[in-house]
Amino acid sequence: MTCNSRLLRQGIALMLLLLLGAISPLGLLAQERIKVEGVVTGKADKNPKPGVTISVGKKAIGTTDKNGAFTVMVEPGSTLTFTHSGFAAEKKVVTRATANLEIEMAQKDEAMQEIVVQGFKRATRETTTGSTVVISGKQLQDVPVSNVLELLQGKVAGVNIQNNSGSPGSMGTINIRGVSSAQVSSSGFLTPTSPLFVIDGVPVDLNTNYEYGFQGGGPGISPLALIPPEDIEQMEFLKDAAATSQYGSRGAYGVIIVTTKRGHSKVPIVSYSGSFFVNYAPPQRKVMGGNEERRSRINQILNYDTSYANALRLINATPFLSDSLNPYYNNSTDWQDLFFRTTQNQSHNINISGGDRTFNYKTNMNYYSEEGIMRNTGFKRYTLGMDALYQPTERFRMTTNLKGSMGQRNNGSGMGLEQVDIKKASNLSSLLSPAYYNDFNQAAAGSTVKDDNKSINISTSLDLQYEPIKGLRFSNLFTYNIITGNSSKFRPSFINNNIPEYYSYNDRTYTLYDRAAVNYIRSFGLHNLNAFVFNELSSYGFRANAMELSQTANDQIEGPVGYNWFRTKGGTLNNAKDTRIHGYGGSIEYNFDKKYVINLSYRLDGTSTNGPSTGYTHNPSVSARWNFNREKFAENWGWLDYGSIRSSWGKNIIPTGSIFDVFGTYRIGNNYNDDPTVYIDWGNIPNDAFKPQTKTKFNIATELGLFNNALNITAEAYYESTDNEVMDVELSNINGFAKIKSNARSMVNHGFELMAQVRVLPQGHPVQWTVSGNFGVVNNTLTRLPNNERQYIQPFTDADNSKLPLVYRLGKPTFSNQLYHTEGVYASTADVPVNPQTGLRMQAGRGTGVFFQGGDPIWTDINGDYVIDEQDMVSAGNPTPKVTGGFNSMVTWKNFTLTINGSFTLIRDVLNLPLARTFQNFYNPAAPNALVPISEYDIWMPGSDKTTGSLNAKYPNPFDFTRAGQINPYREAQTLFMEDGSYWKINSMTFKYNFNRNWTRRMGINSANLYITLNNVYTFSNYSGPDPELVTSLGRDISGGYPNRRSMALGANIQF
Amino acid sequence: MNHKQRRLLTQVLATGVLLSLLGACTRLLPEYREALSLEAGFSQTTFEPVVGRTTMFSNVFVNPNNSSTYPIDFTIVNARRFSGEAAPELSDIFPVKVWKQAYTGNETSVAEIEAKRVTEYHNLFEVRKHSGDFVLWSSATSNLLRCQADSGYIFDVEMSNGGGRRYFRNMRLMPFRERPYEPSNLNAITGQSVANGIYPSTMIGVVGDSTNQVLSAADVDVFIRKSEEGKPGGNTISFMFLDKYFRPIDPAKFADTDWNNLLHGFNMTKTATRVTYDVAFPVPAVPLATRFTTADGRRATTSFAWSRLGYGGLRQEAEIGLNFAIYEPGNWEIVFAFKKDNPKFSND
Repeated sequence: MTCNSRLLRQGIALMLLLLLGAISPLGLLAQERIKVEGVVTGKADKNPKPGVTISVGKKAIGTTDKNGAFTVMVEPGSTLTFTHSGFAAEKKVVTRATANLEIEMAQKDEAMQEIVVQGFKRATRETTTGSTVVISGKQLQDVPVSNVLELLQGKVAGVNIQNNSGSPGSMGTINIRGVSSAQVSSSGFLTPTSPLFVIDGVPVDLNTNYEYGFQGGGPGISPLALIPPEDIEQMEFLKDAAATSQYGSRGAYGVIIVTTKRGHSKVPIVSYSGSFFVNYAPPQRKVMGGNEERRSRINQILNYDTSYANALRLINATPFLSDSLNPYYNNSTDWQDLFFRTTQNQSHNINISGGDRTFNYKTNMNYYSEEGIMRNTGFKRYTLGMDALYQPTERFRMTTNLKGSMGQRNNGSGMGLEQVDIKKASNLSSLLSPAYYNDFNQAAAGSTVKDDNKSINISTSLDLQYEPIKGLRFSNLFTYNIITGNSSKFRPSFINNNIPEYYSYNDRTYTLYDRAAVNYIRSFGLHNLNAFVFNELSSYGFRANAMELSQTANDQIEGPVGYNWFRTKGGTLNNAKDTRIHGYGGSIEYNFDKKYVINLSYRLDGTSTNGPSTGYTHNPSVSARWNFNREKFAENWGWLDYGSIRSSWGKNIIPTGSIFDVFGTYRIGNNYNDDPTVYIDWGNIPNDAFKPQTKTKFNIATELGLFNNALNITAEAYYESTDNEVMDVELSNINGFAKIKSNARSMVNHGFELMAQVRVLPQGHPVQWTVSGNFGVVNNTLTRLPNNERQYIQPFTDADNSKLPLVYRLGKPTFSNQLYHTEGVYASTADVPVNPQTGLRMQAGRGTGVFFQGGDPIWTDINGDYVIDEQDMVSAGNPTPKVTGGFNSMVTWKNFTLTINGSFTLIRDVLNLPLARTFQNFYNPAAPNALVPISEYDIWMPGSDKTTGSLNAKYPNPFDFTRAGQINPYREAQTLFMEDGSYWKINSMTFKYNFNRNWTRRMGINSANLYITLNNVYTFSNYSGPDPELVTSLGRDISGGYPNRRSMALGANIQF
Repeated sequence: MNHKQRRLLTQVLATGVLLSLLGACTRLLPEYREALSLEAGFSQTTFEPVVGRTTMFSNVFVNPNNSSTYPIDFTIVNARRFSGEAAPELSDIFPVKVWKQAYTGNETSVAEIEAKRVTEYHNLFEVRKHSGDFVLWSSATSNLLRCQADSGYIFDVEMSNGGGRRYFRNMRLMPFRERPYEPSNLNAITGQSVANGIYPSTMIGVVGDSTNQVLSAADVDVFIRKSEEGKPGGNTISFMFLDKYFRPIDPAKFADTDWNNLLHGFNMTKTATRVTYDVAFPVPAVPLATRFTTADGRRATTSFAWSRLGYGGLRQEAEIGLNFAIYEPGNWEIVFAFKKDNPKFSND
């Protein structure tokens, strides 16, 4: 390498000499002007910078070519100014001696000049009043992931991302500034409150038709998984009311604007990014195998059955225990090993772009393929995106965008969070043989199961702007997005109880959006005015059809005839939707000398689900900013680069519910006089005052840049109230209707956020080290329940059949779990409290006659009736994380860059349900499920008489199986399994080497780099379960979920 | 005030305003209070226990869907007679027997059972502090309380927790007078016997000695009575059998009886006329199913059995038994009187 670069340098010197020789006569001839050549490179990455504008005074005299090189003719003594978007301008004075310039352009440190989008308008940060955080696409490169959301974890203060499903192509949860919902689906998942994504102007709402943990049809591919991270120029997080006010009809949960790359070089640039990565599974839990397991079961039965004779009878009646030499049972199968695998994957991205201010274009092609770490799962992405900007004059501008993407996914046995069959199978006894028991799951059956899921997304946008008079600009943005999903599955008869079954599903989602706006900008001296009026229409539709053919002729013929029509179903699913939103409004912004900024906006929104008597909702917002670094008193504060205080208040809505909640459901009844009748469903009474969910936000923030921008701090405090959340309210039984969907629940999130960035070493130091960190603290409080209740308990059984009620209490965190309070384990039967009136010991359940004894858990008898039942459950814990944040460190030295990203989630209570189920597997020693080496746990061990045993044990006696069904000592709903779910995680580490430009250029390559990335490196946590991140929003560890893979990538970025 | 100071003041003021704004935010939030639901209440408001036995009224407080937050405190307030006058008998305290350790049915002496309970002083009629269960202790007698046909007592219950308090007014306690044993032949209101005796619970294969007819339960009277000859304060139960002339039958004739496990009694003495056990009252001691009780644990179960050779040399098994409960300490006699015909013990 050194040899090469020396050669290179000599070569260049030689070339320069020749060049100098060539131009010297010219120099003599033209005294006035000299020729200046040079190269512009980026200071950080040493890459050449194409498209840099070179000007003298205000006159542009040239741009750099694709190699960053330029040649200009200037008069000696003039000053060349090099400007490039996102970079600080560089100035060089040209003297007669100047012939060759090497310009290094540093990224613009001036955070205040960053361009941000707020309320549909682009403006410099200095004049915006809302809370916006910009994440550059550079921070999202070099880590191959299927869903870009994973990379955003810990990047923005107050944005809580939990990657709680490792299933490729699915998505975790994202919440900006706390959870804004307390609505829980029947299967035990919190209604998601993901922010609105606006991808190149196309709004994508992830909350409608979400398929989080959903076991029905559909490909289960998140729309975000169809965005290639390589194509992202930047992402903007709009948090407060001022920033999101104009997205009012759906911006209540925050807005994330994704902008893809654009062309900015006259000479076309072709860049390739590719990586090869290996995914591997995190360590799995230990299980007992073979004879150890059999011994454990037999001992348990012998010791704890009601009599020795019963014990022998049970053992002999259980063939997999007694028939130990039968090869069918004589195994030691590691089921988990059977389902997890290490996979090799790849991703490729080609980006072609070019153009200048008047016309530019970009085409991006992406291929991503990831095989899941669970067998028979995987995700592939193919995308083709194009955009073009045409701006013949300053007055007219047209931007078009066309993206097509296809995701293909193998779901294995479940949709994202749930891997039902694998869960069932990996919970099997090791004594069974995989050869016979693959009928438990289609995952094990591998390729014999046909499982094909596709999601195709086509989105287009056209943005036209015209400025007939200076300052008055008309614009119209039209976008159309269509997503079709297909899913087909065939289960052959041998894995499905001899019933071949064919399932076919397709859905279609369209979103049409149009916004027309008039913008007027005028400056009167130091007074600047910006007025804006808009009208917005959006239409959304969704329809899914599914069909299930059962008992087709055989495993080879999958239809279309020969199936059992009686068992076969099909039709349009009842989640079809067709909604409209219309909004209009305007805003006025005024600033005085960029010192004082005030912004007033108002919008009205009508949605399909606004009740007729609700009409349009009114959403005002007020915000202001004070840049105090521009005040006179701050003039002498050299340490202050910028400083401002801003504040905002405003309202946003998000449509909820369906038209059935507003107008009731009408059904077709029997015929009357040969005419069909229509009657109203008595389930829900129509609610003509139905309102959309409303968010009222207050935000106050300080932004500071200190010590020559070595330290940048943004501190924000906010208070957000979510009102009108829908809740089922039971009606009095004298009413004909059972329930009303009422806008009755409210909650408040208030908190604090801090983002800071430190440049550790001074500028110009050979080693550049930047450290940034952020955290957000959120306190959520429930503020309103229907009927002025102060407490409401929602009993429900979640997908895993565990009865874990939720409790909503006014003045406390929005929801918490309702649990039995476990104080320990009764060391002996004599320790069990006795009812003084009746002389009976504490009883498990009223009237059961099952009394606690030594080895049983001590549950607090809250109401003192010596019966442990639902009345003794207490609300315990807060499953919503209180603190989330992240940290980032980037060290650059010469051509080497080391980046480390981390994130943390703190103060959160998690229910370790897998642990409960692990113990529950001991309830029935004759059932073939997986057993863990239980002696590793601090369990109660009996003494000789079985009524007294070890003192201060943590876990109750798991072996007493005859009583286990009645006592249920390892029930999920107890504080024994509640743990602190805090964790610190190293998300990724990237080590990158930039090749020397001179060296690569010889091969026609403009720039190239190589990198090694470790992803999902390590999680530090006290949590005893497998992964504190694989937890639902309700704080429940999902046993059998899809674990987050770890991966190692080797990649390259090459630019031609 | 110079220019600098004024500027400083402005800055301090601005900071103050900001901080107070944030402070005001949290003040908008509702304060957490424990819930006290209007839906919660008592499913039973009139209590008619029988005095002389410890009676629990469990699960009478209903808290639908846990809409009120536990722990809840309950107290009986303003207990008064129906006429409105004060009822000191409900506010005074009396010695009652309270279990401290669990009765198991495996105790081997009266002393061991007695060691499991102690005497404490309580109101005769109490509400359990947190559960809203009511209890009338066995120390209550018709001498202390006004029993039916009197209209009894009226009381209010205060329910409170951190969220406030509620009152349930005019709940009623209308005790019945003692019925010291069950099954009872005593009138609930007058306490006078309304039948000669009670009938045995089981009669299997008992044949009349003179008639050779099968005897039914109605052919036997059972008398449960306090023995007059016993020492006062005794704790015994004796079993006697009388023939149709009211002459004692030797208990030894019930030869197949498991005398040692007949009931949870100790120190059995068996004479030609009776079998006596020392017991701890009440019998059964607690409502727990043991080998001495019925399946629900509410009655002691006894069975006296014998067998003889019938016609053709077939063994005929016969059994007579009684499920009973006795609540009052004393020397109790349980007398089986074969009023129609004597049972046949001899072989055919």
